[in-house]
Amino acid sequence: MERDVTISRRRFLQAMAAVGVVVACAPAGTPGTSAAASASGTAAAAKPVSIEWWRRNYTPGSQSAETITSDAAVKAWKERYPNVTITIQGGPFGPETDQKFDIAILQQKAGPDVFHTTGGDVLKYAAAGQLSEPPLTDAERRDFNPSALQATTYKGKVVAYPLWIVPWFEYINLDLFKEAGVTPPKDGNWTYDELFAAAKKLTFKRANGKQVYGFAHANDEFAFLLIDGGRPYDKDVKTWTFNSPDAVSGLEKWVALAQAKVMPPDFLTLNPNDSQARFLSGDIAILQRPSAMINVLNADKNWEFGKNWDIANFPKAKGDQTAWGGVGFIAVREQQDADRKAAAHQFAKYLTGPDIGPDLKKQTPPVEYWLAPAGRTSAAGIYGDYHPAKAKVAKMGAFTYVLPNVSTWSEIDQKYMRPARDAALEGKKTPKQALDEVTSAAQRLLDEANK
Amino acid sequence: MTAALRRHGWSYLFVLPTFSLFVLFTLLPVAQGLVLALQDARVTGGTFIGLANFGTLADDPAFRQALGNTVLYATVVVAAQVTLALVVASLIQPLGARSRVFYRALFYLPLVNSAILVAMVWRWIFNPNPFGLANAALGTLGLGPFLWIGSSDQALLAVILSAVLTIPGGGVVLYSAAIGSLPRELYEAADLEGAGPFAKWRHITVPLLRPTTLYLVVVYTILAFQVFERVYIMTNGGGPNNATITIVQLIYSTAFQFGRYGLASAMAVVLFVMAIVVAIAQFRSLRTDVEY
Repeated sequence: MERDVTISRRRFLQAMAAVGVVVACAPAGTPGTSAAASASGTAAAAKPVSIEWWRRNYTPGSQSAETITSDAAVKAWKERYPNVTITIQGGPFGPETDQKFDIAILQQKAGPDVFHTTGGDVLKYAAAGQLSEPPLTDAERRDFNPSALQATTYKGKVVAYPLWIVPWFEYINLDLFKEAGVTPPKDGNWTYDELFAAAKKLTFKRANGKQVYGFAHANDEFAFLLIDGGRPYDKDVKTWTFNSPDAVSGLEKWVALAQAKVMPPDFLTLNPNDSQARFLSGDIAILQRPSAMINVLNADKNWEFGKNWDIANFPKAKGDQTAWGGVGFIAVREQQDADRKAAAHQFAKYLTGPDIGPDLKKQTPPVEYWLAPAGRTSAAGIYGDYHPAKAKVAKMGAFTYVLPNVSTWSEIDQKYMRPARDAALEGKKTPKQALDEVTSAAQRLLDEANK
Repeated sequence: MTAALRRHGWSYLFVLPTFSLFVLFTLLPVAQGLVLALQDARVTGGTFIGLANFGTLADDPAFRQALGNTVLYATVVVAAQVTLALVVASLIQPLGARSRVFYRALFYLPLVNSAILVAMVWRWIFNPNPFGLANAALGTLGLGPFLWIGSSDQALLAVILSAVLTIPGGGVVLYSAAIGSLPRELYEAADLEGAGPFAKWRHITVPLLRPTTLYLVVVYTILAFQVFERVYIMTNGGGPNNATITIVQLIYSTAFQFGRYGLASAMAVVLFVMAIVVAIAQFRSLRTDVEY
């Protein structure tokens, strides 16, 4: 018996030594690289496989960011793994494409092998048993942003690969700051009171009659409800808490901006594109939007970073530094064909891992893969390489509040939260009254999602 | 019967393609909608829940608001459009033949524009900022600025105004054609009696146009009940505090954004019943035995 144990220990040590040799001989790399390498081992041994990748807003031949990055990703992938052929299917952003996904995945149990998805879709597909669990190593798990990983967890299991975290922050028009004699926030850090004071000074009418507004946002987020520590759900995502005193005081701060008339009169119906256009036309000094607008400003010769515009964090108040955020995911559909499924996982890991950024940077012309900071530490660095503003945004992932996935969120949001927010911002209801009135409906929908 | 069938049976072949398409794309979806309305239907399937969806709608403040907005929109817009079409057609009628054709085309042409583009233009017109056309125009008269689509109190008014201020080209053409076919001897008799232009219009033209009016009222009411793109584009799909939400807008979001196909179908059934009841009422009140 004793002898057996000794042998086992020896064998164990031998095995460890062998692993050590292999690791030492292997090319140096991040955890993600090793994972990709191990995955590539499976691919190298595999026979030719064809898989389908569904990507929203992909249109062959178009110049959309999704099309350019997707084509480049497939090209780079093909160089690494020539045995796996990928075809891309597109569809515009919107309910029509969402329905196409739903019908294929939920009704026909067919369609994409790998696909981009967001929000409640992950839970919806996971609940229907249509997502294949990513085979993540412990090192890979540790490499992902915890809140992003949490957002892809269904009944204790990670069901998709977090791709990127999209924080909402402030774009500031430095020309208007200069004109109004307002000092931009140092290192992008400011408090709510500082933002409020700046927005008031930045709301003015020029001699030529042009009205400038200090602050604006599009009507697709609730960042101010987080500012004092309010959160929509408790930690277990079982109880609706967006009527907590912290959430109410956050809404009060938002209402104060509306009452101070520092926002344009159409702020309640300002959609993302319009808000962006208004910032670009110099009507708005501070605009709260996510990272995609960096590329828009960067492509405009009239807007020079550091001279005409900069970015700043979402302001801080009573709560810790935070930001409203969303997550994009890559999911793999559950299926019987083991080869296709393995190849799909391998591709999903590549799309969310640290290799794709450098691979696309090497292409001629270089393609910037990451449209938002990566959800994985080992992949996060390259996003900041492309632009100094992105270097700042890359650091925001650490404090961005990623909305947990609740399959009924869009209904809670559109049917109840937005009208409540509007009623408070218009002064028709107090913030407490508005948020209290939503609670029972929101809790009912949360309970339904948790069933 | 057999002989008749043998003689005319082949003619059904000509009807068959259209009838098949009607069954496939209209009748079956309507029947399926009725079935779905009785289910808790999701994209994965549905379970029969009887009339529970209708109970949910009765308790849903958003649906009640959508219902009220739709009825208000339809009432004002239909009344205004039919009146406007009648007045414009009546004003065109005395003109020369060429001018009549010109004005009919002029009023009809906007109909070929994309409804989305038209709604986007109206969104700009009723923008609450000073660059909004309505505010700019009213500003020259010392009025405003108004919040229009930026306010829950004025957003529905702006949407209704956008519909009312669009001259209904189809109605103008129909009324114009109908007025042209009215018997001249009635007007000559009225002339002999010394009736003025307004009296002739009020007591001859308007009553004789009742069949056309009935048609337009029914069609415009159904179209008004179905208002969607105007609201969706002008006010981002419901406006501040859901002030402009309509039934079709809610059907769209309930089905395609919230994935509740059963509930959305129940809303569609309610709309369907509303349209039928209102159409029956309109037929009864405007029905006429006018023959000329």
